[in-house]
Amino acid sequence: MKILNCLFVPIFVSLLFSGTALAHRVNLFAYVEAGKIYTESYFPDGIPVENGKVLVYDSQNKQLLEGVTDKKGLFSFAVPKVDDLTIVIEATMGHKNSFKLKKSEVEAGK
Amino acid sequence: MRALISILSVVIVAVMLSAVHPAFAHFGTITPSDDIVTQDDAKTLNIQVKFIHPLEMHYMEMFKPKQFGVVHDGKKTDLLATLQAAKKKSLSQNNQFTFWTADFRIRRPGDYTFYVQPTPYWEPAEDKFIVHYTKVCVNALGLEKGWDQPVGLETEIVPLTRPYGLWTGNLFTGQVLLKSQPVSFAEVEIEYLNESPGNINIVVPPADPYVTQVVKADANGVFSYAMPKAGWWGFAALNDADWKLKHDGRDKDVEIGAVYWVRTRDMK
Repeated sequence: MKILNCLFVPIFVSLLFSGTALAHRVNLFAYVEAGKIYTESYFPDGIPVENGKVLVYDSQNKQLLEGVTDKKGLFSFAVPKVDDLTIVIEATMGHKNSFKLKKSEVEAGK
Repeated sequence: MRALISILSVVIVAVMLSAVHPAFAHFGTITPSDDIVTQDDAKTLNIQVKFIHPLEMHYMEMFKPKQFGVVHDGKKTDLLATLQAAKKKSLSQNNQFTFWTADFRIRRPGDYTFYVQPTPYWEPAEDKFIVHYTKVCVNALGLEKGWDQPVGLETEIVPLTRPYGLWTGNLFTGQVLLKSQPVSFAEVEIEYLNESPGNINIVVPPADPYVTQVVKADANGVFSYAMPKAGWWGFAALNDADWKLKHDGRDKDVEIGAVYWVRTRDMK
């Protein structure tokens, strides 16, 4: 019985934390327009991710640039490279998500 | 062999259903090819607009709707011009019937509530016209915002349960509005769409009352129903309009329905 208790507590604690992480899941959406890449970072209920770190990687996983979201969760930059881009948002408490922008989309928006 | 058995079972069920009861509940339907669009999904949705008996899988002829559009981020977009006519029939029907289809490209995150106001349908069996204002919500790219807002139709169901990401067995709660006011003790009819994607076992109702489920709303027009199977579920709250339409020169009643569709998936 004691063993069960020992198992139960960590499982419960990990569930508790995974639940919190889900409810606070961050999202990043990006689109290209007139040579610029616009990103929006938000929680599911629409609250912007403020001061979130945005990292941009190319298809070789090489970091091209990084920036910080503003009060509206926005961060934009000139197209750094015509390639498949991965844009990562890192919010506080280790909340993280990424968005893939295809080469074709980058090219079309240049 | 399995295909043959499933076709045969559909035919048998359709024949049984049509023999048991010729007049099932009519439902406006609006079903998108996807209800939750993630960044890896196709961004172009195909939306089908029909007038059918959902469980029985019977089609009815549908004229071009009067209104078809989408609300996203509080803004309405008219999509009427994108509708294309298409034809289909159920296995037990002899003739093809018109329904409508449109493609829509998701460009931004958020909830997209699609709505349709059909052209009034004359139902001789009930001696009245039927207009089903029908809605469905598609979520895109992780932003869960907008689903709880009314579109502003003459009558509509406003969900109180987030209308996507629903498991089989979940309770769906909504509020019935008529001219933006709750309808006390509104009667809500519920049907399962037997043509739901992934539905491998056609539902055979053991008796008539199983075809259309009926719940009544409370004094605030709020109703709930737990959905027992994976697929699309339609909720229709029916009221009589305070206006009439002419048929053969005589004033006829108009049934206005507020219809909402949600999709459930099995937990596995």
